[in-house]
Amino acid sequence: MRRTRKQPAIQWEDGPTPASARTAIVTRAPNTTQYHLPLEAALPAGRSPDARAPESGQLWFCVYLPELPLEAIPVAQAESGGARVLFEEQRGIQRVLLADPSARAAGIAAGQSANAALALKPDIELIERSKLCEQQALETLACWLERFSSRVSIAGPDVLVLEIAGSLRLFGGLRALRRQIAQGLDAQRFTAGLAIAPTPLSATWLARDGRRACIRNAANLMPALRGLSLYCLDWPVATCRALKGMGIQNLGDCFRLPREGLVRRFGSRLLMQLDQAVGRLPDPRTVWRAPERFSALHDMTAEQSDRDLLLAICRSLLERHERFLLMRQQGTQQIQLKLFHLRAAATVLSVGGADVERSAEHWFDLLKIRFEQFRLPEPVIAVRLEGGQPRLLGGRSAGFEFGRRPVRSVTYSMRQLAERLTARMGEEAVYGVRTLAEHRPQCAWRRETALAESSHAQGAPVLLQRPLWLLPEPEVLSVREGHPWYEGPLHLLSGPERLETGWWDSDGISRDYYRARNPRGLTLWVFRVRERRADSESWYLQGYFG
Amino acid sequence: MSGDPSALDALLENPRVWRGHNQARATAGLSSGYPALDRCLPGGGWPVHSLSEILLENYGIGELELLMPALASLAGVAAASQTGAESNNAVNHEQPGWIAWIAPPFQPYPPALEQWRIDLSRLLIVHPRNADEVLWSAEQALSSGTCGAVLLWSAQLDDQSGRRLQLAAEKARSWAVAFRPLRARHEPSAAALRIALEAGAEGTDLSILKSRGGRPAVLKRFFKPDAQALSRHYAHSADRP
Repeated sequence: MRRTRKQPAIQWEDGPTPASARTAIVTRAPNTTQYHLPLEAALPAGRSPDARAPESGQLWFCVYLPELPLEAIPVAQAESGGARVLFEEQRGIQRVLLADPSARAAGIAAGQSANAALALKPDIELIERSKLCEQQALETLACWLERFSSRVSIAGPDVLVLEIAGSLRLFGGLRALRRQIAQGLDAQRFTAGLAIAPTPLSATWLARDGRRACIRNAANLMPALRGLSLYCLDWPVATCRALKGMGIQNLGDCFRLPREGLVRRFGSRLLMQLDQAVGRLPDPRTVWRAPERFSALHDMTAEQSDRDLLLAICRSLLERHERFLLMRQQGTQQIQLKLFHLRAAATVLSVGGADVERSAEHWFDLLKIRFEQFRLPEPVIAVRLEGGQPRLLGGRSAGFEFGRRPVRSVTYSMRQLAERLTARMGEEAVYGVRTLAEHRPQCAWRRETALAESSHAQGAPVLLQRPLWLLPEPEVLSVREGHPWYEGPLHLLSGPERLETGWWDSDGISRDYYRARNPRGLTLWVFRVRERRADSESWYLQGYFG
Repeated sequence: MSGDPSALDALLENPRVWRGHNQARATAGLSSGYPALDRCLPGGGWPVHSLSEILLENYGIGELELLMPALASLAGVAAASQTGAESNNAVNHEQPGWIAWIAPPFQPYPPALEQWRIDLSRLLIVHPRNADEVLWSAEQALSSGTCGAVLLWSAQLDDQSGRRLQLAAEKARSWAVAFRPLRARHEPSAAALRIALEAGAEGTDLSILKSRGGRPAVLKRFFKPDAQALSRHYAHSADRP
């Protein structure tokens, strides 16, 4: 068991409100006549029209994480056995904020100086508090809690609340849902105080007080709140001290105070919170939404240039990326990896482009190929993985092919092959082709970077002589004794085919094309430029009939 | 000496016993489109689950024409529509019949390929930067299992890398064709088929240097200077029902 202090039993509260229930909480905003009365008196005695209706039907689940600052720090593999102590610098002195059970057993307590803690137990692992880590851990948890409710909100640096009234049926009732959340938190190694109440604020207060309360009925809320200590309310310490000085010990005493006086002494915020806690005032919460695009940073304590280590980091980031996409049933076409250096601008590697994918294995393969070809300019201090635009990942269902085995074992698709090749050799080196309706030989085709999914329509092939090999640029042929020459005099086999086109742009041609053969047996595609001056004959080689 | 015939069968089933004629029969070849050549090849055509080598001195002597009918039947327009009709009821996820061109010496000219009825949307052209990458790309393309044919041009393809390609082709049941310079004819090779093309004034001679399960042969004037292979191909394909 990770929890050290003995926890009270869960105070289950079930069943409908008895008809004789004296108190009921109304969701209306208080009117002015009520405002001058003490809180207790303000509650009408069983004659409100919505007294029996469960108040607004909401049920809030609060997850309070008292040891989040320590638990958010990832456990270093090597020193996992040692005691961990979290410190924070307060006015120049490093003070212990939290200590784990084995450190507490040695006498280390919050508030001690770090040196005192070291004196008590020299082999402790001293960790500085990182608010960034806490925030990330909280967001990860919020992300995880989204599976239980669509209304999750971050209510403080260590508090998450979620509305569960709509989820009860799906998860098989309140007990089952509470058990699932508690087990999930335990599996993620978080110490959490859980409470359920009809309003978010009361749930938060109950959880903070360490009561494992489960209040479903609004009528039972007030009695449960009365006994709460003032220190679980997250009010300023000065306020609590002043209230203590007035002889106010708990929330019940607070409720008994005149409203007007409370506002005059401590401001209207306090009263508003009290009203919101009992459901008298609405308490809207901002719903937390997971970001649409994945982005995760891995910080390293020291600069690294070891490829295997960087790849291992990438792998863990990619696995998180996969989980992120899996929850959304999406994939992405491209990912970007940013490698940060201390003394140089960040290096950006982007891979992918062809297929919508989410499997970490696929992206890792591509990254590995990319890494092989890539020289690190500087050691790396941090790695950030950014997922591309999420796309719907088309599901495939297997066919009903009984008894028929696939002829070949397809390990990956053509697009994936193109992706792999591109990852190693660059975008320029891998392409497909298509033809264009154009007579000029150079312009009759085009590169296609994205591989077409289906074959495009093809017209009837024109039975003109076209070579299978084309030179990138026409090559000038020498002319001897009036004959074009290529390792010997050329013998014209067929032609001429006159192409005179393109006069509308700067690249116009006027040529006679021939199929020619040289004495060594090569079949060539040559042309003669038709010029106004008949005396100069210029011959060019454009391709080979391979 | 016993007269038990099963003893002979058991002996013949031993993988260490090499039986020339049986091995060739096991894999049917892909018709090359040239009846004269098909007659000389053991499977009645190209050995499509292995590596073939074509040795030549110059480009432009009919080396692509030699392959075109076979490639058209692998990744041709007709082949694509045929498989489409077959797999109407069963969704066919695998798309065989891609052709990868790895390190071609010039630009393969799409209009001419289209004339040979090759489906251009199933063409992948790769320009690696060095010999290592040629081999790597060819292995990747072969092992992907989606390429019907992988054509590669390499001046330096040693025995060991040839063997690797041969293994990859066998494993993925895909056809690898390596174009190599003629001077490599005396080097050992793991290829199932080696063909040398030598051009002369009379035409291009084709000689089968090595054919697994077959015999060497020489086809004089395989490509004649005045012959129009393309129109013959069309005449031939028009005959088909």
